[in-house]
Amino acid sequence: MSSITGGLADTKQTAASPIRSSLWRQAFRRLRKNKLAMAGLAFIVFMFLVCFFGPLFSPYANNKINPAIMNQAPSFKHWLGTDLLGRDVLTRLLQAGRISLTVGIASMIISVIIGSILGAVAAYYRGIVDQIIMRIADLLLTIPSLPILFILGALLSEWKVPVEYRMYIVMLMLSFVGWPGLARLVRSQMLTIREREYMQAAIVLGLNDRRKLFNHMIPNIVPLLIVISTLSIGGAILSESVLSFFGLGVMPPTPTWGNMIDAANNLIDFEQHPWLWIPPGVAIFTTVIAINIFGDGLRDVLDPKQKK
Amino acid sequence: MKKLLITLLSITMASSILLAACSNDSSTPASNSTQTSAADTKGTENSSTTTATTELTAPIAASDLSKLPAQAQKRTDTIIVGLTDPSGAFTPYFQQSGYDGNVSSVLYASLVTVDDKGLPIPDLAEKWDISSDGLTYTFHLRKELKFSDGTPLTAEDVAFTWTLIHDKSYDGQSELLTTIAIKGGKAYKEGKAKSIEGIKIIDPQTIAVTIEKPNAKGLTILGSEILSKAYYGKDYTFGSLDYIKKLHATPVGTGPYKLEKFIPGQEVRFVANEFYYKGKPKTEHFIYKTTEGDTWQFIETGEQDYGSFQATQENIDKLKGLGFLNIIPYTANNYGYLQFNLEHPTLKDKKVRQALTYGLDRKTIYVDANQGAGQIANIPASPIAWSYTEEGINPYNYDPEKAKQLLDEAGWKEGADGIREKDGQKLKIHFIGSKSKATDIFIAVAKENYTAIGVQLEAEQFADFNAQIAKFESGDFDLVSFSTPILGDPSDGVISFVNGEVKGYDNPKVKELYEKGLATSDIEARKAVYKELYQIINDDAPYIFTSYRKLVVAYNGRIEGLSISPLRGLSASLPDWKLK
Amino acid sequence: MSTYLMRRLMYMILILLGASLLIFLLYAMMPGDFVTNNFKLPAERKAELREIYGLNKPVLERYMNWMNNAFHGNFGFSLSQQKPVLTLFNDYIWNSFLLAITSTFFTWLLAVVIGVVAAYKQYSWFDTMVMIFIFAAMSIPSFFIGLFLIKIMAVDLKWLPPGGMLVTGSNATGMEYIKEVVHHMFLPVVVMTLLGVGSLTRYFRSNMLDVIRQDFIRTARAKGMKERVVLYRHALRNAMLPAITLIGFELPGLFGGSLIIEKIFNWPGIGQLYMQSFTVRDYPLLMGFTMFIAILTVIGTLISDILYHVADPRVKL
Repeated sequence: MSSITGGLADTKQTAASPIRSSLWRQAFRRLRKNKLAMAGLAFIVFMFLVCFFGPLFSPYANNKINPAIMNQAPSFKHWLGTDLLGRDVLTRLLQAGRISLTVGIASMIISVIIGSILGAVAAYYRGIVDQIIMRIADLLLTIPSLPILFILGALLSEWKVPVEYRMYIVMLMLSFVGWPGLARLVRSQMLTIREREYMQAAIVLGLNDRRKLFNHMIPNIVPLLIVISTLSIGGAILSESVLSFFGLGVMPPTPTWGNMIDAANNLIDFEQHPWLWIPPGVAIFTTVIAINIFGDGLRDVLDPKQKK
Repeated sequence: MKKLLITLLSITMASSILLAACSNDSSTPASNSTQTSAADTKGTENSSTTTATTELTAPIAASDLSKLPAQAQKRTDTIIVGLTDPSGAFTPYFQQSGYDGNVSSVLYASLVTVDDKGLPIPDLAEKWDISSDGLTYTFHLRKELKFSDGTPLTAEDVAFTWTLIHDKSYDGQSELLTTIAIKGGKAYKEGKAKSIEGIKIIDPQTIAVTIEKPNAKGLTILGSEILSKAYYGKDYTFGSLDYIKKLHATPVGTGPYKLEKFIPGQEVRFVANEFYYKGKPKTEHFIYKTTEGDTWQFIETGEQDYGSFQATQENIDKLKGLGFLNIIPYTANNYGYLQFNLEHPTLKDKKVRQALTYGLDRKTIYVDANQGAGQIANIPASPIAWSYTEEGINPYNYDPEKAKQLLDEAGWKEGADGIREKDGQKLKIHFIGSKSKATDIFIAVAKENYTAIGVQLEAEQFADFNAQIAKFESGDFDLVSFSTPILGDPSDGVISFVNGEVKGYDNPKVKELYEKGLATSDIEARKAVYKELYQIINDDAPYIFTSYRKLVVAYNGRIEGLSISPLRGLSASLPDWKLK
Repeated sequence: MSTYLMRRLMYMILILLGASLLIFLLYAMMPGDFVTNNFKLPAERKAELREIYGLNKPVLERYMNWMNNAFHGNFGFSLSQQKPVLTLFNDYIWNSFLLAITSTFFTWLLAVVIGVVAAYKQYSWFDTMVMIFIFAAMSIPSFFIGLFLIKIMAVDLKWLPPGGMLVTGSNATGMEYIKEVVHHMFLPVVVMTLLGVGSLTRYFRSNMLDVIRQDFIRTARAKGMKERVVLYRHALRNAMLPAITLIGFELPGLFGGSLIIEKIFNWPGIGQLYMQSFTVRDYPLLMGFTMFIAILTVIGTLISDILYHVADPRVKL
């Protein structure tokens, strides 16, 4: 939880002036009145708490396999059943949540920061800066990410990066490769803003670049950024499963929601062992919904044009 | 031998099956041994139960044919089998994919084929003679053989086929080049001779060929598919084989069926070949349907008549429950293994290798987590091979105490953190494997097993088979997971110990026995040789042998005359299939 | 405008040249090559094969060869499939395109309609339900929707085929053929639309909310225009504006194929072909396909920019 609001707070604090921060305080006051958004927030906090502290109370040791109880349906002993190696699904689900949540949010923050700053700078300065940034973005957009990931995997193996850290490096790289689309979107939005009357006014007033960019332009795309970021958390949680799928993400036996769900993607498991895929599925599903609803609420209160 | 070619090629495909295996391997649409071998390296069925599995050993007949879906009911002269991914290169010797091999095995017959045990039996060649020095093979062709276009097949075509493979621009993987050497083949390849010295046409029905060194596999390798000289040789000039690519889509063969239509990514349609030497097959149409991944839905809806599944209890129960399927269980003729890197000083010590074998709970990994669809392996041969033996073989039953004792003896003592040490070095094992469910299971269990005996396992997975091989070839690993292709001859299962593939393993006795095993074609003599060889390898433990895969074939109960050859898959009995 | 176009075209060529070099290098750097697939081959044979395929040459020389051939319209033969690369494209791309264009059409249609209505009735029941449904569709992995639909619609109810593009062995032609294909593409199109519609709807709703509150909308209403006209003619046009940049981005996707959908529904598309050629390191096929997508991406970007200008003349190109 702290990292979400923390992340957002960081982006805006660069822009914060005394007047603004009181606006933010107002916004939060209004947010508190939005019941749906608060419910979303509560759920996110709940999910974090359960995932980070829940496993401490589990009687089943970390990833302990138990051949005697393979593939058992949910019972009082194992609330969500056991998997094909007799591991407790609930315990794994919670441990998986730690990684999936961290990865989802971290990679979202990185790509949104890179993408929006570059897009904004390109749109504001136009000319040569715009050309350079957008051509690099064009170039990156034409390159498929699959070979990059494969090469990365090989390089990380060559450099003997410990298996535990690999995930984060790959995530960093992924967000690095993923910024162009976002940058283009931000740029196009900014171009419209740039032509709005109040920006013309800002120019006439002779405000300096930093102030125009950070006080007047970026805040206007914040609602859009929030929509995109909340959407991309869910995407990142799912894309982690793609990485794991190629052996580039988290290595087993460490669970993630993505690889837990992926472990049951055939017709037989689908029919016969629903407890293998329903829990991670529901976890991803509810978390993403909660984040999105909360993001929606945030957007509504942050948007200066919106008055209820 | 066609099957040998196919199995060789199947390694190529092992990687391309990655996705299919990753996502849903419960039913690799293996219609043929090729795919099952390919899938083997990649994935295993994910589900398992704890209920004691009653092992399926005998075939089960369909219990209620009335349950047959309408779609399958409607077909009267067509049989449909799933095949993962035929690409359209249907000329034998020129294929890069094992699946194309499955297609050409229907389109082309060979001079010599093998029976269920892997022993040679006549096909296009009626009989053959091998000279007493084992170097000259004389093949006697059947009379009035015809290609599917009606033209006659003679010794000229056989000579042409062998010659073509020796062209310098040939980029296939025929064992004619890699395993045996025809006398004068090299000179032809280098352009120094106009023809190959060792090939002699005696009369239109008889051809002789001399090879450089005796080889028990010579007969089946030489006795492979025959290409029509009139068709494939029309435009041939030495050094350029590009023209053949244009002929891949319009094959002229000698097999039970001929190609009717190839729809890329969807179907390969065959129609019975009236010129087939055994007579026209009993079913007019045969179709290989391209099914990537899961075949359950196609079997259940009757879109497909035949599927191969892992012999897990759940799969078997479900297949039985459908009622309209005949089920045949069989064991794949290959084996899985974990190869040690014997170039690393730690693993040069036999005791350490044995300890790591004792210390690995293979039953949990390969049998229990697999719901019984596997059997623990201890030698480089499958239980269905004629050379298989358990005599004098150490089963290395899971025994952590024994493993600890061996490690103690080898001088590895437990350190402060529970990890064993020797000369200040920790006992760490760096495992590499490609991403698959089977590898996931292995890592989860092996990590626990090895920690218990004071060994630290560092597991690394690679995005695909190709990447894993690249890492393997760089030598930066301690333990690597593989499985062999389908083994046609017992020598195929042990060649890696003598040809330098297992780097750092050098046992002169093994080399001697390997040569001895190939120098004779007498089965009983060879059995004795391989028994000794297996005992040595079992004790030396350059590999941890892992498992033999168990499979079931399930097919539409209306099909009669179907049998499964572990070496040749369905193509052996295909001409006899009939819909009742 | 025309000088702008000229300049853009020049950039495009430069980018494509840069991209081709980069992509070639990337593929060459991937661990393993086509010969590695068969690691059991004796070393000499491997060396011979690398010689035949030219894999033993320096990367830059290989790149120059490839470029040279490509300029002459020769994209080479696929190593694993033994067919000309262009023939393979022709065999597979249109199948992928068919799925993509149909589902894209439905995705945009649904997204615009739902997005507009949801924005208009913000915080209503309809809005909340739509949003929840959309998040749901977005956050369930595609293979589960796919498997679920196959299980229900094909295996249990037998209403729709479980996969493929035609009934196996079918000889249908004309209308019969079209009917068969439509029947088979129903499920994959539904899944693809479900997966795509979420983010786009949300996007439209968010833009629409912005626009509805702007002064010109108030003016339009004040003038007594019909609500429908205000909504669809004035508000929508402005809300579509940022979305227009997305149209260009859809272009490569239309031809790129979808690996997962094609696999689940056994659809003979290019996505699967790409993945296979990737795992066996079939360089000519990989290079040909990737460059094809790169060209589409660059063209798509150009289209986006031009459309953007057309939609909002205030934005200078």
